[in-house]
Amino acid sequence: MIGRKKLAGRNYGPAYSFPMGFWFSLFFLLPLLIIVAYSFMKKGVHGGVEWQFTLDAYAQMLNSSYAKLFVRTLWVTLVATVLTILISLPCGYAMARSKHQTLLLFLVIIPFWTNSLIRINAWIAILGNEGFINSTLLKLGILKAGLPLLYNQGAVIMVLVYMYLPYAILPIFTAMDKFDFSLLEAARDLGATKSQSMTRVLLPNVRSGIVTAIIFTFIPIFGAYTVPLLVGGKDSYMLGNVIVDQVTKARNWPLASAFSMVITVVSTIGVLWMMGTSAREAARNKAAPVKQDTAA
Amino acid sequence: MSKSFGSFHALDDANIKINKGEFFSLLGPSGCGKTTLLRIIAGFEMPDDGIVTFDGKNIIGIDPNLRQSNTVFQNYALFPHLSVFENVAFPLRIRKVDNATIKRKVMEYLHLVQLDAHVGKKPNQLSGGQKQRVAIARALINEPSVLLLDEPLSALDAKLRQNLLVELDAIHDQIGITFIYVTHDQSEALSVSDHIAVMNQGKVLQIGTPFEIYESPATEFVAKFIGETNLFDSRVIECAPSTNDEFMVTLDVPELGKQIKVTDYDQTQSGQQVSFTVRPEKVRITLEEPQSTNKEINVFKGVVEEPIYSGFQSKFYVKLDNGTELKVFKQHQNYLEDGPDIAWKDTVYVSWSANDGYIVEVINQ
Amino acid sequence: MNFPKPHNPYGYFVSRLSKKKPTSEPARHARRALQNKSRLSLSHTVMALSILFLFLPLVVTVLYSFNAAKGMAWSGFSLNWYHKLFFGSEKLWTSFGNSFVIAFSSALVATVLGTLAAIGVNWYKFRGRTYIQTISFLPMILPEVIIGISMLIFFSAINVPLGMLTIFIAHATFCLPFVFLMVLARLDEFDFSIIEAAHDLGATERQTLFKVIVPAILPGIMSAFLMSVTMSLEDFVITFFVSGPGSTTLPLYVFSMVRYGISPVINALSLVIILGTMLIAFLLRNFLKNVAASK
Repeated sequence: MIGRKKLAGRNYGPAYSFPMGFWFSLFFLLPLLIIVAYSFMKKGVHGGVEWQFTLDAYAQMLNSSYAKLFVRTLWVTLVATVLTILISLPCGYAMARSKHQTLLLFLVIIPFWTNSLIRINAWIAILGNEGFINSTLLKLGILKAGLPLLYNQGAVIMVLVYMYLPYAILPIFTAMDKFDFSLLEAARDLGATKSQSMTRVLLPNVRSGIVTAIIFTFIPIFGAYTVPLLVGGKDSYMLGNVIVDQVTKARNWPLASAFSMVITVVSTIGVLWMMGTSAREAARNKAAPVKQDTAA
Repeated sequence: MSKSFGSFHALDDANIKINKGEFFSLLGPSGCGKTTLLRIIAGFEMPDDGIVTFDGKNIIGIDPNLRQSNTVFQNYALFPHLSVFENVAFPLRIRKVDNATIKRKVMEYLHLVQLDAHVGKKPNQLSGGQKQRVAIARALINEPSVLLLDEPLSALDAKLRQNLLVELDAIHDQIGITFIYVTHDQSEALSVSDHIAVMNQGKVLQIGTPFEIYESPATEFVAKFIGETNLFDSRVIECAPSTNDEFMVTLDVPELGKQIKVTDYDQTQSGQQVSFTVRPEKVRITLEEPQSTNKEINVFKGVVEEPIYSGFQSKFYVKLDNGTELKVFKQHQNYLEDGPDIAWKDTVYVSWSANDGYIVEVINQ
Repeated sequence: MNFPKPHNPYGYFVSRLSKKKPTSEPARHARRALQNKSRLSLSHTVMALSILFLFLPLVVTVLYSFNAAKGMAWSGFSLNWYHKLFFGSEKLWTSFGNSFVIAFSSALVATVLGTLAAIGVNWYKFRGRTYIQTISFLPMILPEVIIGISMLIFFSAINVPLGMLTIFIAHATFCLPFVFLMVLARLDEFDFSIIEAAHDLGATERQTLFKVIVPAILPGIMSAFLMSVTMSLEDFVITFFVSGPGSTTLPLYVFSMVRYGISPVINALSLVIILGTMLIAFLLRNFLKNVAASK
């Protein structure tokens, strides 16, 4: 930021920023606040809300079948996130040390440019009862009956991993690319094996990249809607699906809002954690101003 | 301990033998292959052919973490996420040494490099010199038999470099292991090394003590790279045996305009093209013509083009009658002795004896 | 803050135009040594498998778009699905048109508002600056379901009927933060003294804006615009919630095809979309390369 300062007298800042600020407050912040408010209101008889403060929605949320839903959503999210990160770490490393970085980057991103629904549809075509895998295996006589690969939790997890892999690879790759590989050599020189140098030197220094990858994987998956809807079965309903159902079918807006609040809170915590980590790491990597070296 | 090598495209047929406990320097300009050589010893690169032996055992193919050498890197390579203490403790933690021993040894080595007070700091809170000391302590704590240093001082400023170099020398004397020191700074190498290998473009040009390298450079490149010198192409007129197993050689030096005399241990044949050098500090500069009938003194007359005063010495660029410039250094050893100062545009006489000159190498066509 | 852009990773390329790799000599040596090491390490294997994994569904889809029969049993090469795609799917192309109209208009609004705000925030201090900076990255973090639901409830509450207008508003809203951040990143490299020079020479603020600032950051603005268009074209979840009858966009149409029956026309459509996107990406990459080269 070269020469950044206020012009004498005229501060055009507000003029420039006001349009966006206004739009945003109206069309983004306000709806969110409405949701917060609605979560504390009573369900209207014909849908909508009645302006009466109550904690009914939250109470409803805590009943047992919804509790199972929470646990399941959390479980799916955790498994999918862990798998995604486990795969992205070696990928990010391979890309960071490769001569063909841009090419690999493109390869990772290109599938991503096709519409998400098309990609989900592709998996349905592969996993379904008349899908690619089953048709081929049946035709080859290896199977007698089709495998139920689709419409279960496993399929949801796999497709979620598929969808969010690029989201995780990119920040991990970025962090590893900025990593000074001579540190790995130093570690090996001092006696560490390859895996020791990875765990003790590489991973701690790309922490902010890993944290970013976790955030950009965990939060969207936690609120996932489309994938469980299209690829999952009755037992793989997630939080996102419940929210939509409550809004469209049950017309229980307060309950939907309450669930939304949960997701929002989780997301905010995650983001704060991520920002905290990257701020700490930035502070750590910036050399502090030091007095001149003396002979000692 | 001896080490010998073969060839690599950045290293062309290098052969070096290093003695146990020595302070050995690899000296040369950037890109000469010295760092590559060091990295091969450390285990980070593989040579195309050739071997490296420690005490007779070939270590090529052994992983870097299993070798008996530790490296001090040019950019310190301190682990940014660990404190000073943990950085130095790192090798011991890898070997699962117990905490009490770790504490003792880390403090011992931090004391050696005089960093006791900075134990808890993180690398980004340290100055360059401090970081380098941590790197040194960390590399020594495993008690390796060889310490490899890759231009460790080049990122520091001049004054600090001098101080730290002296400290390194002291540490070497105290600990007694072999140091292999890579640098492009010849004054560093000359001041602390037991032996120096001068390298250029992948080849080892000369191996010798600092005195040998300086006074008896094996090639023109070595002569020019080490210190400052006057270097001329010349042709042997005659070579006659003289006292002390030496030869008195008469050279025709076109650039100087007349013949000169120089002594040499090797015999040369008349008609050969050789390169000749005389170090500037060995050239006497006077305002009066030297009164000597000794035929072994070479005398020239010239005009001072540029006197440069450096406090303890003056450098003179003397333009001889025939146009060639000669570099002369004169130390101001005595306040009174020097007489009137030699100034710009003065007419002076430069002279040196045949012993002070040196034939560097025979030039083949 | 080095956020990748999750909804559109190729906005990432713009941020990669200014990257800092460690440049000390040992770092370069180490990197070179790693590049030249053998092929068969674990990370390479995982990378190769992952790329296969990523491409597999697309390859299968494209293959079966040429299948004469409806199901997954291969019965011969045929282009009849493509025929049906281009000549028998009126509703599809209507929704396609809708998508484009919304994409361009919302991207326009987002780009204008976001650019102005970035200019304001970057160079001026004023009350509310922190407010804008904070809320502007929220949409990138929240799951789309939340954003979609909140807008749906909002429009309901203020009695605005769902349709093209609401979709337009929603798209502009979620594209704004990306435009804002992208232009902001561009402005970072901009030398403020040029603006002072302009003022010194007598230019009014408006003239400075249009004759000095905008031309200088035009590549950044264009990239942001294109990214908004792409995000808008692609979006499903948010659009799902705020669309009404008669305002179908392409993703919505595809969704209904996926949900309620597997027509292989989708496969044909997939290939068309893949090729189209790749073409645009290729053009964009060259455009960005030229931009970088001309700097």
